[in-house]
Amino acid sequence: MATHTPTAPALEAAPVPSFHLLDYLRRFYANYTVRTIFKALVTIWAVITFTFFLIRLMPGNPVEVYVDFLMNQQNMTYDEAYSRAASQFRFDPDASPVTQYVEYMGHLLQGDLGESITSSGTRVIDQIARFLPWTIFSVGLGLLISFTLGATLGTIMAYKRNTFIDHTLSLISSILSAVPNYIWGLMILIIFGVQLRWFNVGELRGTYSPTMTPGFTLEFLGDVLKHAMLPVLVYVTGSIGGWMLNMRNSTIGTLGEDYVGVARARGLTSSRILLAYVGRNASLPMFTLLAINIGFIIGGSVIIEELFVYKGIGSFLYWSISQRDYTSMQGVFLIITISVVVSNLMADLLYSRLDPRVRVSGEK
Amino acid sequence: MIGAVKPTIVENTMKNDVILQVQDLSIVYQTPRGDVMATTDVSFDLRKGETMALIGESGSGKTTLSLSFIRMLPNSARVTKGKILYSRDGVTRDILEMSDNEIRRFRWSDCAMVFQGAQNAFNPVLRVRQQFADTAAAHGKTDKAWIKQRTLELFKLVRLDPERVYEAYPHEMSGGMRQRSLLALGVLLDPQIVILDEPTTALDILTQRAIIDVLKEMQQRLNFSIIFISHDLALAAEMASRVATVYAGEIVEEGSVEDIFYRHRHPYTLGLIRSVPRLSRQQDELMSIPGEPPNLITPPSGCKFHPRCMFASDKCKVDPPPLVEYEPGHRAACWHTDKVAAARIAFAAQD
Repeated sequence: MATHTPTAPALEAAPVPSFHLLDYLRRFYANYTVRTIFKALVTIWAVITFTFFLIRLMPGNPVEVYVDFLMNQQNMTYDEAYSRAASQFRFDPDASPVTQYVEYMGHLLQGDLGESITSSGTRVIDQIARFLPWTIFSVGLGLLISFTLGATLGTIMAYKRNTFIDHTLSLISSILSAVPNYIWGLMILIIFGVQLRWFNVGELRGTYSPTMTPGFTLEFLGDVLKHAMLPVLVYVTGSIGGWMLNMRNSTIGTLGEDYVGVARARGLTSSRILLAYVGRNASLPMFTLLAINIGFIIGGSVIIEELFVYKGIGSFLYWSISQRDYTSMQGVFLIITISVVVSNLMADLLYSRLDPRVRVSGEK
Repeated sequence: MIGAVKPTIVENTMKNDVILQVQDLSIVYQTPRGDVMATTDVSFDLRKGETMALIGESGSGKTTLSLSFIRMLPNSARVTKGKILYSRDGVTRDILEMSDNEIRRFRWSDCAMVFQGAQNAFNPVLRVRQQFADTAAAHGKTDKAWIKQRTLELFKLVRLDPERVYEAYPHEMSGGMRQRSLLALGVLLDPQIVILDEPTTALDILTQRAIIDVLKEMQQRLNFSIIFISHDLALAAEMASRVATVYAGEIVEEGSVEDIFYRHRHPYTLGLIRSVPRLSRQQDELMSIPGEPPNLITPPSGCKFHPRCMFASDKCKVDPPPLVEYEPGHRAACWHTDKVAAARIAFAAQD
């Protein structure tokens, strides 16, 4: 505005917009969407960089692990084994990590996750595409079942608080949530699979029977469900207790709210009060928890998938770590990071849909 | 509304204009330490279009009493004695005898209750209009056009901007706006009785003023009766046509506003009125009632007020005084009404 002289006609002296880069950036950053995307990108970059160097600090690299394997299994000398390993892997253990990082990031920016180190020719992205759906399916199904069932039971406990039903369910949910899920997995395998022989442990390995042809047939879907049954059961037992107790406490809090009492005084039916007044408000904090849990789908599946030989992304991660397959590990970590970031974003959006009080200003 | 259900009890002891008759109502709360006698032998009539104020200290049983009229007492409470007769369109029924569905429909369409702390009276995740529609639908009124028209009309009546409030969420309104919306919601179904439990406690003095004005106007237009619960005596005096003083779960004095404020005969009423600060009075003349409200698990013998009463005699410690009518419509339960009247006159001379 300093350039504007009062005597000059407006058209000629159109104020030259003074361009301040910082101002511009600040205004740009004030935009909700821009800010959210920027934060997400920074998070993803930070995690990639951190894990990149961290996994290279782990004792042993892919070549050494393979050398060990060859020396032990095939009685090779160290030199023989080393030259074999070095010729098989597209990995130079002596290259500086910084050079590797620059190269990796360069590829990543072009959307290329690279090739697996230990099985050359296999693209990491293909591996992820092959294993990830199974994990999303099994853990997602488990989460859905335990969330719905847990929230329902929690509501019942709150309505019947301090009765026999409440005490029994509280005890059960405490026990369920106190024991880690892989212990439940082991117990199910040993008691029902090995001792009682209710199911054939060998037959249930993998994501579907080898004799099946994948396709949208009823038979194949049934087989898939059969194989997912045990991991899903374990995911449910491991997490349902937490959902029940959370929902119980949240519902008890909501039942004490004035607006629930007023709703009764208004003569609303109990089903309307349960759904729109108690349930709707009591489940709000549950959705935050749900979103956080979605982020942990992959991380939480590692041990369980390994235990049940369920070929999902978790067991793939376990295998890559044991082989020190840096690129594969890196790829899975990237997926984990993205899923955490995206699920938190979804939680924000979902929450603002459910609770008008946190709706972003300017949004109708 | 109530005409649709078959009456189980028809009593014709009620006078024409009486719509609520409470007879010898006793309520106890069952607690681990014993039964708390929250109200004992309470009787009064509420007439059509009148405003009755219940005044008394916190914990005297005012709220318990009003909750029993819509059967919303907590689970630990039991009605041990008495009747609550309600009359509409010539049919009289005992509220305590209604079935669960009957009482649900009775609530709000016959007797609405505006609770204290209305700040949280609305469900935060539903729009105000949805909560109006919910209420109407629960009582069989589903005509959307009618609901909308009625809602907007009532918003105008409580002096809110109808267009603005209609689509609003509760958190988008101020405390005063929410209180007015709740009053509008209260009369949505044209009830005969509106119970107001400390309706202005959480509001600033100007908003209180506005709410009271709105209430008076609404009552004039819609001709409902009000049960007004308050410990704000000035407010009670302004709103009510009749006042009942409640002490330790009993009505100790009842009468017209003039009876209670200028011709009171019970020492507790005297104490309440003398404990209101006045600009014209010296600070040291402000009187308070010594002691605390009694423990209602083991209430004092005789007159429950005697441990705190300056006029108490030996008789008061033994015999509970009956509620006696001194002038038409003015009842008091005290053995020493003469002394109270003398003290009142002496105090008035000082002022």
